[in-house]
Amino acid sequence: MQEIKDMVCPFCGCLCDDVTLEIENGEIVATDNCCAIGNAKFLGKNRLKNPIKKVDGKWVDITYDEAIDTAVDILLDADRPLLFGWSGTHGEAQCVGVHMNEILGGVIDSTTSVCHGPSILAIQEVGHPGCTLGQVKNRADLIIYWGCNPIEAHPRHMSRYTTYADGYFLDNAFRNRKVIVVDVRETETSNVADEFIRIKPGGDYAVLSSLRAILRGKGDMIPDSVAGVTKTQLIQVAEMCKTCKFGALFFGVGLTMAKGKYKNVRNAIEFVDDLNRHTKFTLTPMRGHWNVYGANEVMSWMTGYPYAVDFCRGVAFYNPGETTAVDILARKECDACMIVGSDPAAHFPHSCVEQLRDIPMIVIDPFQTMTTTLADLQIPVAVTGIDAEGTAYRMDGVPLKVKKAIDSDYPSDTEILTRIYDIMLEVKGL
Amino acid sequence: MASSIIWYLREFVRGEWISRFFTVKTPPLITPPHFRGFPILTGKECTHCLACMMICPTPNAIEVLRTGDVWNPVIYPGHCVRCGMCVEACPEDVLSTGVILETQKAEHTSYTATFHLTIDPVLCKRCGNCAVACPVNKEIDPYLGGTGTAFSDEVIMRISDGEMRVIHPEKCTGCKTCEKTCPNHAIRVARVVEGLQEAGE
Repeated sequence: MQEIKDMVCPFCGCLCDDVTLEIENGEIVATDNCCAIGNAKFLGKNRLKNPIKKVDGKWVDITYDEAIDTAVDILLDADRPLLFGWSGTHGEAQCVGVHMNEILGGVIDSTTSVCHGPSILAIQEVGHPGCTLGQVKNRADLIIYWGCNPIEAHPRHMSRYTTYADGYFLDNAFRNRKVIVVDVRETETSNVADEFIRIKPGGDYAVLSSLRAILRGKGDMIPDSVAGVTKTQLIQVAEMCKTCKFGALFFGVGLTMAKGKYKNVRNAIEFVDDLNRHTKFTLTPMRGHWNVYGANEVMSWMTGYPYAVDFCRGVAFYNPGETTAVDILARKECDACMIVGSDPAAHFPHSCVEQLRDIPMIVIDPFQTMTTTLADLQIPVAVTGIDAEGTAYRMDGVPLKVKKAIDSDYPSDTEILTRIYDIMLEVKGL
Repeated sequence: MASSIIWYLREFVRGEWISRFFTVKTPPLITPPHFRGFPILTGKECTHCLACMMICPTPNAIEVLRTGDVWNPVIYPGHCVRCGMCVEACPEDVLSTGVILETQKAEHTSYTATFHLTIDPVLCKRCGNCAVACPVNKEIDPYLGGTGTAFSDEVIMRISDGEMRVIHPEKCTGCKTCEKTCPNHAIRVARVVEGLQEAGE
């Protein structure tokens, strides 16, 4: 039995880097310090076995070389290829993806466009008053979770980064920190909140605007109830925010994907801006899919845009709503697709999934997913953090070096993508 | 007209009434000794044993907080029902209210308690809230309390082998912090408290 300490969890955007793994006969048999979902991923058994290709509706076993050649053929034959996903893989593979997209003249998009894409649009408009999770842990005495349920999606977020861990500048952090949860329904997180604001679906913008009005001394204009929230509670919450020493607002897709989308997030950022005239306040998106922040970073530094980058004009073009994966698929524009480290079939609208089914689709993923069942070519790879290494970004923008725990015969995403890219260069004579 | 005014004055401005108004004997405005207010600190040193939090029947009514290096219980009046059980349970007489401490001394009464911790693995998300917030864990393994990473196996409970496991239930002081921080009601602290009376001298 071998024990490896300080491993990075490969599941959510918390990137908990304190996991201890027990290895027996080259397999992970147990985890320490990991939450339920991290543990399930480390011990995941439904790995894809070998590359397979669909020929006349039947799966045929093929070698990695054949799989790579097929992938190159599919992508080079396409007029408007879409390279989607990227959040489940490491930064080095994402770099190769961007290079590949440039010579293909296709569209590269990450899962951001269906989660925190609107947050990025808002940040591009009004900036990002953010900080690292360490600052929150050591300083914050007020935590707000808006439209997110960390107990389900980021289980260790509260115990490790925000609420219950001791803070360097706080005497009784775990008892004195106040937690406000804003959601449309009661959740596990609201069970442990000091204040729960239940708003009617789609009422986020109005509630944020009301809180801002109260902060600016214009509370008189607020009606008795805003989106189901009483004026008394709004005044109380505004006072809690104003009088705290250091507040941190975390928000999830409950805010970004509700009615109003990026305008909600813009209002939240401006709310934080208003609060900073009274106290210190920060805002952090709850990035869900493991290295989705890294995908934005990589695309930003390579193309200038964080997601939904279209290279069909030869130069980078970015127009969310037009060049985002869902829109391209819904318009049935895309004629070939490569999915890396994500599961769009489980999360996209029905018409988009139909288009994914109808066009040639390459899936590069370690595990069986709903997308792999619709694929025309499956290329199994190693999992970063288990049998591959690389760089990943935590939800607060901190890059972490992810080690590998075991050796396996699976190639990493970088290896597969580099081989596809090299052949493309050769074919194109570049 | 004049006679009626004089009649009224004679009727209402009686010497007896005026003297009684100024020399009236009302009960003195002092709190009777049997009255129980919110518990107050006696100034004795709190050992952070959390017996007060263990016995408290009301949610969020009492917490043991640290100021610098000193621990002291803090009562939240909006939640406290003034039952006085924390005063009785405290072995160091840190709190006082009414005549509880005197009665307890005179009658030689005390409490003993045992605890039983259970975790429902189906409800538990292994979020670590209970293990990180537990004040006993924080003293045994400050690294766990500060970062959420368990290093020591001496703690009451921690996540190991993919489960939240109770390792040292005997160290539990029954303060119920874990119950309060658990979002799924997966952890339960059963408290068995016995009232004892020693033979008088």
